[in-house]
This record gives sequence, C-alpha cells and structure tokens, in this order.
Amino acid sequence: MPEAPWPPGIEPLVPVPGYPNTWTHTPARAPIARAAGATERATPAALHRKLPDGEANLAERTRGKPAIGQLMEISGRVLDEAGRPVAGAVIELWQANAAGRYAHAIDTSAAPLDPNFEGHGRIRTDADGRYAFTTVKPGAYAVPVQETWWRPPHLHFSVFGPSCLSRLVTQMYFPGDPLNELDRILQSIPDAAARSRMVARMQPPASVGSLHLGFVHDIVLRGRFATPEG
Amino acid sequence: MLPTSQQTIGPFFPKGFFGEADHDLTRISADAAPTTQGEAVILRGTVTRQGGAPCVNAILEMWQADAEGRFGADPAFLGWGRTFTDAEGRYEFRTVIPGGFTDATGTRAPHANLTVMGAGLMRRLLTTVFFPGFDTAGDPVMASVPAALRPLLMAEEARNNDGLRSFTFDIRLRGEDETPFFDL
Repeated sequence: MPEAPWPPGIEPLVPVPGYPNTWTHTPARAPIARAAGATERATPAALHRKLPDGEANLAERTRGKPAIGQLMEISGRVLDEAGRPVAGAVIELWQANAAGRYAHAIDTSAAPLDPNFEGHGRIRTDADGRYAFTTVKPGAYAVPVQETWWRPPHLHFSVFGPSCLSRLVTQMYFPGDPLNELDRILQSIPDAAARSRMVARMQPPASVGSLHLGFVHDIVLRGRFATPEG
Repeated sequence: MLPTSQQTIGPFFPKGFFGEADHDLTRISADAAPTTQGEAVILRGTVTRQGGAPCVNAILEMWQADAEGRFGADPAFLGWGRTFTDAEGRYEFRTVIPGGFTDATGTRAPHANLTVMGAGLMRRLLTTVFFPGFDTAGDPVMASVPAALRPLLMAEEARNNDGLRSFTFDIRLRGEDETPFFDL
C-alpha cells in the first residue's frame, strides 16, 4: 500500500534558481514511485545506542566557557500527521555561530570561529514529544556563489521518526528576519503556509524570564504512527 | 497536520555527530560485539555529481534486514548505519549480506536501502542496492525500474578486503549512468 504522497506545495521545487549546486546534484530523471514495504516501515530498535544522547546546551558546553552570542532556547514538539507526539525520537541540531560561521573544516568563510561553540547537539524527545536546546542565535552568512545571496539565521534539524519514511532533515528560521524573503532555500518551498510553518514563534520575553530569549518550533513527521496502517 | 517540509542537509553536517561504529551495521554501538549471524561484508563506492566530480561530505544512511531477512529479531544487529563521503567522494559501510523476505509488496530479493543527502540536494534521495548472486527477477522494486536501468542498482563484487568479501556501489546523482532513485 503506497504511503500518502507529500501534499502539494510542501516539497522544495528543484533545481533552485541561484543555487548552482542544485543544478549539478539534482537527478535529471524523476524518482520512480513505488510502494513502501517492510524495509521502509521498520525502524532500528535501539537507534539511540548508535546515536547516543549528547548535550542539550550548545551555549556553554564547558562550564564557565560560554559561547558568544544572543542566548536563546529553542523548544517544541515532534508530532505525526495525526498530531500525536512522537516520543523517543532522536533529534539532532546543528548551526552556525553568532558570526555566521560553522565549526566545520569545509566552511572557509572569513567570519570568526568561536572556540567555545561547536554548534551541534543530539537529544531525544520525551514522552510528550518535547525537545529543548539552549544555544546562541546563529548569524547570517553569504553563500559563496558568483551571484551571492545571504542565508538568514537558521537552525538545521535532523529527526528520526518511527520509520524510514518519517526520516526528516529540515531547517528552521526566525520570525521577522528580512532575509527570510530572499533566501533561495526557504523560498524553494512553493506553499506560503508551508514556509510559515518553518518559521519559529517567539515566546513572549516576559514568559521566559531574563536568562535567554525563547523560540518555539514544532516539527511534523510523515505518517500516523499510533495506529498501524495495513 | 501537514508534514514539515524537507530542506537540504547542506555542506556542514557536523563530523562530531559520527561515532566510530556508525558505518558498521553489524554492531548496535561502538562498544558492542558484532552480530554472529550472517556473512560480514564491505560495501563501498563513490558519490559523484554531474560530470563525475566527487561529492564531499555527502551523508549516507543505510538500512536493511538481517541475514535471515528479519527486522529487529537479532538483538546484536541494528541494521542501520550512517557515514559521510571523504574528499574523493568515497564512502564505506560494513554490513552482512541481508536475507530476502516476503512482505505486502511481494517477495524481496536481498537488498539494502540507501539514503543520500548533501549540499545541493534539497530532498533526501532514496535508492536500493541489490547484492549479486541472488535472483532479482521477481523483486517488486526491481520490477518497478525500467529494464535498461536495473543493472545500475546491482552492487559489484570487488577484491576481498581484510578477509571480507567486498562490494562496490557507485552513486551518480546526475548525468551519465545516473543512479535510479525512488519516491515513497
């Protein structure tokens, strides 16, 4: 039995104008449709053994050595298409530092590294599907292509749901950033409502207290997992 | 609720997310002994883009049944692994030859699913690798692929490596002999 297809407008349109890598990496042939079988429906029983829980606080990995930047908490829930929480989902976050530089050998931009910021963490959702990371707000950075454009501040998320089909790698954006409208990658999603679901909500600052800003972002995985499908 | 859109994994997926056994499907974790069931083998290849240039730091995830064609039955076998391509676009997994099985889609020949993500890939790509020496004629996934493209999904046996049989499966994202990918 085929899975429900992606609803229209939610998947990125490829190749992406202004993003030359998509011109050389996107397959020329359309993908071949096929039904999901046992391989796609099953999931590793104990993925967290191989991908163990790590640090949820990216902003101060070593006590007394805080990263530079605007302190923030990002929290939310991982849900399925029926709105049910996905408990125990492995969730990975990675990001640029406050200057817009990744702590990765491939990033050769001139922006400074922060010796106190590695910019990645891995945790699991709790019984209500909740996750929370403390970090610093990432900076924007220019994409090194001939006709350069700027990536808005964003967080990368990798989430392992209950099956191969629910595997999701996505990005999250910040509300009100003028670069969002100019970002080739965010704007590759045709549907405006789908794009808006990739933008976090800011929590009222008074409700999160004086330590950090708070943003909320829910992630919805493909599938309806509480009721097995025939 | 509507699913969250996919976005590219980008070029900067952190090396810090990888443990030393992540590419080894035969072990459930770095500190666990490998499964005793099945024949351990190496699967390796390159990931290239149009023109044959290598893809660097492409992220590959591999997922398969155990040597008996089962999921979750052998507590010492996770059946899942992840790795990244090096500066020459090369990847390597250690696994066991999977068993075939029958599910709702039909009788499956021994195979593994491979997911490819990377810079320039806005969505993850999903393909399937079949191991030589088994009858794939009745496999429903192989049957969904145009006949001329089916050889592109077969791993090739290569020289032995450290006493293990070794197989090659090159992934060409675009262009000549482009790898068939699937939509689920």
